[in-house]
Amino acid sequence: MTSPSQLYSKASSAALVLLGGSLIWSLLAGGLQILSTLQLLVPLLSRILPISFFGYGRLVPAYTFLLTYGWIGSGLLGVLIILVPRISGIAFRYGRVLLGGALLWQLGVLIGLTQLLWEGSTGLLSLSFSSSITLIFLTSFLVLGTGITRGLGGAWKRGPLLPRLYLLGALLAFPLGLGTSELILRHSLAPGSVQIITQLVGYSFLHHLWLTPLALVLLFQLFTALTGRAVSSLPLGLLSWMATFTLGGWLGNALMSDGPVPSWMQSAGVVSTLLIFVAALGNGVLFRPLFEGKFDEIRRNVALRLLSVGAWTYVVAYGWLAFLALPGVRQNTSFTMVSSATQTIFFFGFFGCILTGSIYALLPVSRNVGWPSHPALTWHFWCTTLGVALTASSYTLAGIFQGLAWNDPGVPLSTISSYLHPFLCTALIGQSLWLVGQIAFSALFFSAILKLFPTTAPWAIFPNPPPAHPDALSGIQS
Amino acid sequence: MKSTRALTLVFLALLLAWFGQVVVGYFQVGRLEPVLNEETNLMVPPVPSGLAQTGARVFASEGCLECHSLSVRGPTGSSDLTRGWGQRRSVPRDYLFREPALVGFSRIGPDLSNVAERIKDPAELMMHLYDPRKRKPTSTCPPHPWLFDQRIAGPKQENDALPVPQKNWKQTIPNYSAKALVAYLQSLNLNYALPEAPLK
Repeated sequence: MTSPSQLYSKASSAALVLLGGSLIWSLLAGGLQILSTLQLLVPLLSRILPISFFGYGRLVPAYTFLLTYGWIGSGLLGVLIILVPRISGIAFRYGRVLLGGALLWQLGVLIGLTQLLWEGSTGLLSLSFSSSITLIFLTSFLVLGTGITRGLGGAWKRGPLLPRLYLLGALLAFPLGLGTSELILRHSLAPGSVQIITQLVGYSFLHHLWLTPLALVLLFQLFTALTGRAVSSLPLGLLSWMATFTLGGWLGNALMSDGPVPSWMQSAGVVSTLLIFVAALGNGVLFRPLFEGKFDEIRRNVALRLLSVGAWTYVVAYGWLAFLALPGVRQNTSFTMVSSATQTIFFFGFFGCILTGSIYALLPVSRNVGWPSHPALTWHFWCTTLGVALTASSYTLAGIFQGLAWNDPGVPLSTISSYLHPFLCTALIGQSLWLVGQIAFSALFFSAILKLFPTTAPWAIFPNPPPAHPDALSGIQS
Repeated sequence: MKSTRALTLVFLALLLAWFGQVVVGYFQVGRLEPVLNEETNLMVPPVPSGLAQTGARVFASEGCLECHSLSVRGPTGSSDLTRGWGQRRSVPRDYLFREPALVGFSRIGPDLSNVAERIKDPAELMMHLYDPRKRKPTSTCPPHPWLFDQRIAGPKQENDALPVPQKNWKQTIPNYSAKALVAYLQSLNLNYALPEAPLK
């Protein structure tokens, strides 16, 4: 029988490149986000430092790109490269090819970031970068995705079904969404009026059919493994899975309020958003029994803690989208900072917590290393969650005030800007807290990988061998 | 569930989303034609000039979309029309010749769908790009000095030089990107009626 270390050995460099890159990009994204908030708070900054790449209009697409492709995209792929061979028992054959794919992805992020800062965005939703970057991402994904797809068979077939199904969908959605958007938007295959629809479809594919399912793969696989409990109802899980993939592509239409998209599409977007929330609730119902009576374990195990926060934020995030899609609400929150709150909830709350929780859970078992400091883990958790909560609530309140003021023609624009200041200040504090937490996490990650400090908190975080549920973890260990 | 069945189901679901929106959307709004404006006897929406199309790219690359939308909402539930951002709501036909089709999902500043109707003088737009606070002291819009060149002044002021104090005998002259951007902003004007969107 192949040992876990043998299974993973050929892919370990690729996983490290993806995870290491992900953390570096996350720090950079956090820094750029803070700079952009400062630009809004102190417009004088842009007068003191009138440099094109330092402007708010360049910083926002740059950090959004980094969050999507650099931090979350790269990180989730890295975690999957660790996880999939361990579950399926099928080792990656061509380690160097995988490493090449991982390096190519990082190169794509680096060139994309440079282009966005120096030359600016294309202005297209979810396709803010040039064709060459799309090509790099698709090539890299072909390599990494092919490697991961091999793991869909093997021993995993005897394991839980839902993570495999979500992975299958996510692997298909990324090239379909990005490739078709690229063809239609950049090669003039459609007139301007259809391009807007294509942008919304591309956005939905990227967020709701690629990143969300990838995060759900980790939730369903690691939750059941860490808690030692199985999902209670497979039919409900299958229904939620089908609903996610049938409706996810329509969600972007709910971003429009009136405007140049046919009204039936906007209505379809609203209905899909409401129904996908029901699917998320269905998944929430499946997660709940996994937590029950496990509070002490969740408190003790930072991986489980972050995964729990990520799981509940997933349900909240889709509930939030459903709330925003309601016509009366949408009229007041469109074009406002509520969209920044949504981005915070999805990226920093949902995807981010699941990604970091998975790294905490998998890194010690995959590389046989421990975390050097237990207090630092706790600090990371609290900085992350408080930072996300503070930022999201500040942006929400700012957006509500902004929307109400926009809809009152008696309120001048300068007054609306001044309304935002206190909320931007608290959002800035939240973003800084998150960044401090992420710096702590990155320091822990790199010092654990490089074994810079003696391990002080390995088994408390992810017991190896696990004392509580040896059977449940066997799927990951061998 | 067999892998092939799951794969087929997912693929069909993804195709449904894609075809249902892009292909159906193409048949519904992609084949719209420009219409004749009987008042002016011109076809609307007008085809933007090459310079304006270049300007659209400058508009996007400068990140103007992060603060300004290009889509006016109707009178129900929004005050876009009352604020004077347009005389009617934006409809798909307005974007027929826009390449790239920019919409924008954030408003820190006003909507710019009809900016040409509000600011008619290109010199005023140029000054706003160079130093927004010179035109409007409360503006939070950042200045864009990199869109302007500083050139040694000749015996007389160049026609397009900005009316700002000279530094070291240098005039402030808009570069090609600034001219393209202003041409684009001047092309943003929805002051024509469409069958599906009459003027208010």
